[in-house]
Amino acid sequence: MADSPALHAVIFRVGTLLCAAPAGIVREILPALPATRIPGVADSVSGLVNVRGSLLTVLDAFRLLGQQRNGEEGALLVLVVQGRTLGLAVGEVRDFVELAPGSVADQARLPGVDPAVVSAVARRDDEHFILLNLDALVGPVFGS
Amino acid sequence: MDLSKYAALFLAESREHLAACNQSLLEWERDLAATEPVGNLFRAIHTIKGMAATMGHDTVAALAHRTESLLDAVRGGRVAPSPDVVQLLFSAVDALTTAVGRVGRGEAEDDNEHGALLADLDAAAGAAAGPADLADQAGPADTAPLRSRLVEVVIRPMAPLRGGRALLALRRAEALGRVQDVRPGAHMFERDDFDGRFTFRLTGDLDDGMVEAAIRAAGDVEQVLVGDAVQGGSVAARRQIRVDLGRLDALMKQVGELVVARNRLADIAGRSGEAALGETSERIARLVSAMQGEVLAARMNPVAEVFDRFPRVARDLARDLGKQVRIDAEGGSIELDRAVLDEIGEPLLHLIRNALDHGIESPADRIAAGKPAEGRVQLSATRERNTVAIRVSDDGRGIDRAAILVRGRRDGSIGPDVTVLSDDLLLRILARAGFSTATRVSGVSGRGVGIDIAVTRARALGGTLSVTSEQGKGTTWTLRVPLTLAIVRALLAGVGDERYAVPIAFVAETVEFDARQVSAVRDREAMVVRNHAIPTVHLRREVGIEGNPPARRPGIILEVGERRAALVVDRLLGQQDIVVEPFEAPDGLPPFLGGATILADGAPALILDAAALV
Amino acid sequence: MGHSVLVCDDAIFMRTMISDILSQAGFEIVGEAESGVQAVQQYRSLRPDLVTMDIVMPDMGGIDAVREICKEDPSARILMCSAMGQQALVVEAIQAGAKDFVVKPFQPSRVLEAVQRVLG
Repeated sequence: MADSPALHAVIFRVGTLLCAAPAGIVREILPALPATRIPGVADSVSGLVNVRGSLLTVLDAFRLLGQQRNGEEGALLVLVVQGRTLGLAVGEVRDFVELAPGSVADQARLPGVDPAVVSAVARRDDEHFILLNLDALVGPVFGS
Repeated sequence: MDLSKYAALFLAESREHLAACNQSLLEWERDLAATEPVGNLFRAIHTIKGMAATMGHDTVAALAHRTESLLDAVRGGRVAPSPDVVQLLFSAVDALTTAVGRVGRGEAEDDNEHGALLADLDAAAGAAAGPADLADQAGPADTAPLRSRLVEVVIRPMAPLRGGRALLALRRAEALGRVQDVRPGAHMFERDDFDGRFTFRLTGDLDDGMVEAAIRAAGDVEQVLVGDAVQGGSVAARRQIRVDLGRLDALMKQVGELVVARNRLADIAGRSGEAALGETSERIARLVSAMQGEVLAARMNPVAEVFDRFPRVARDLARDLGKQVRIDAEGGSIELDRAVLDEIGEPLLHLIRNALDHGIESPADRIAAGKPAEGRVQLSATRERNTVAIRVSDDGRGIDRAAILVRGRRDGSIGPDVTVLSDDLLLRILARAGFSTATRVSGVSGRGVGIDIAVTRARALGGTLSVTSEQGKGTTWTLRVPLTLAIVRALLAGVGDERYAVPIAFVAETVEFDARQVSAVRDREAMVVRNHAIPTVHLRREVGIEGNPPARRPGIILEVGERRAALVVDRLLGQQDIVVEPFEAPDGLPPFLGGATILADGAPALILDAAALV
Repeated sequence: MGHSVLVCDDAIFMRTMISDILSQAGFEIVGEAESGVQAVQQYRSLRPDLVTMDIVMPDMGGIDAVREICKEDPSARILMCSAMGQQALVVEAIQAGAKDFVVKPFQPSRVLEAVQRVLG
């Protein structure tokens, strides 16, 4: 792994989990916005929000990862996954980091988290966080 | 001279002419004896040649020159038209398209690429034409007819009696040369609804600047466009530019967004109560409305484009039916959004067929009824606020209400207590698919067949269809369509703390829903509205909202074609212009959600698809 | 020397107003008529450079007067004075030979513009 380039990632909290998304797919970080519920679709869809005059379909990272929401304000990550621009409602956004090669360990089991949505676990300053497999996390919501 | 600013025009116009060439070739291929396609081809290629030479695109110019030589030989009778010649010309047009495409991409021209084709063209023309003679290429062809041009005049919108002013402008033009093809007809000048815009063809030996100056001297002239539609003309003299329809669609969308933002701003300004904000918001609202008007205007085309197809169709139809019918059209200059225009042809055709088949009597019957043997069908378009009303009137026998009443009672579509058929009820019955009182089934149209299609199409456009009919005197169908499709009027309905938008086009009326007066029709809950049982759809249930609804709540009567449903909601929240916005739809989106929009207060809302609810 | 003008209108008020506007601009009012018949008679004797003609007048309306005058003198320069909503009548007057029109209520500048167009 010595040759692999450093990975830039956005670190955010979802309940008790510390998660990371590759910086390349994060278009924007916004404060949480009120969503209009979409009836009939999966619970993990928060709904539609208005981002500067365009509609964004927002998914709830808490429900996707089986975490409890404890009334925190939260943030909205605008991501591009599988060609779709969508929102991911998360807890606070912690940091934008550069992960040194070698700090990323391959899949590790984490209690209560579906291993399919975890691409890797990384460690920084004694904290562990999950590098999310967003294709696997988001795909089922859109039937793919 | 810097030619680069004409590059886009050269491309657009060349492509248009090449497309026309393909059309002409197809036409010619069907009838090799036809001379008109050859003339059209010759002029189009000649124009391309002139433009290409002016721009310095020598490969295109040379190719056009040799193609033109062959066409000239055909036109002059020196080369007989044959499938081979047509095929060769198809190849030449393809090669020109390729060469023009190169120019468009800024690639170098390849002189050698078309060597074989050029040789074929020369051989077919019967002589080696030699290198292109570029000297005459920007000038008119030797055989060109007398210079004729299309002139469009717009009288100032604020000018009084625009028709009188238009006639004065026309008089000025007549002093310059021969005036033909005045559109709309000069009789329109006498009408108060004349919009001040007309076109005509002017033939004479004048330059465009003179024509414009002379017409402007009539006073109150807003605009004079002198387009050399017949011969292409010099690129620099044009005052019109061609715009890709996709661009206009994009622009329209942007303006739609702006409308939504304007609504939002007005909402915020209203809440804040601050005078300066209110004034600015109003000013922006006016500007946005004006801009919306301009963009819509750019998409407008005259109704005549559709009307013009019908006289021929009607004549053939009348002949098949053994009837004598004259069809007249007026108001053809009224304009509609391209997208709406494309949709109204079919419903109008159904209405005209109906008029010919069921309205107009046979000549013998007409004479017996004291009418002229020749029946009349009148097509007209009039602007009514933000809609255009298109009427199809006949002076035939009118609809036999008694027969429809009998028939309707028999099949149960009319209750026994109904003794008089109102025009509304009449339409509802006629619009039932397959309803017919015709004693014979004609090959042209069964009574009612076509009406259901016309009603459905009108609704899909956000419009309406209505009918008035007087026995013995005739029937008038009125198709009302919006000027444009981009912005939709919607009724906002609330359930729980959620809001949904219902396109107003499908809302027949709103009534109070009374839970104590529902009945069951075929196991479905229904409410009775003026003696009609209408199935209910509870929006709360559809969208999965728990809890108790208010005791008093409204029902929105949705009407899609002949199908109706009462959509029961908690409350009505007024009307709003909305723009349909794209969004990433999650899996499992119910079919009754037809889209989404952003409301005036900035919140997203889902749009209900009435057709999926009834 | 200004152009000579014949003013035809059945209302004294309108005749006075048009006369004032035109005379202030240097025209010479050589006659006034209050009916179509008078207008034709006066045109014959005065041969003015310009006629202003009301559309609705007693004893032969303005349009018939235009027709009559143009029959005798096709080069007659006649300016119609019309009210709003008389589109069809104005069109008819132009077809009869009128050279231009102004619409009441008159704005002096619009009247003078129209006169310039008729004489120009």
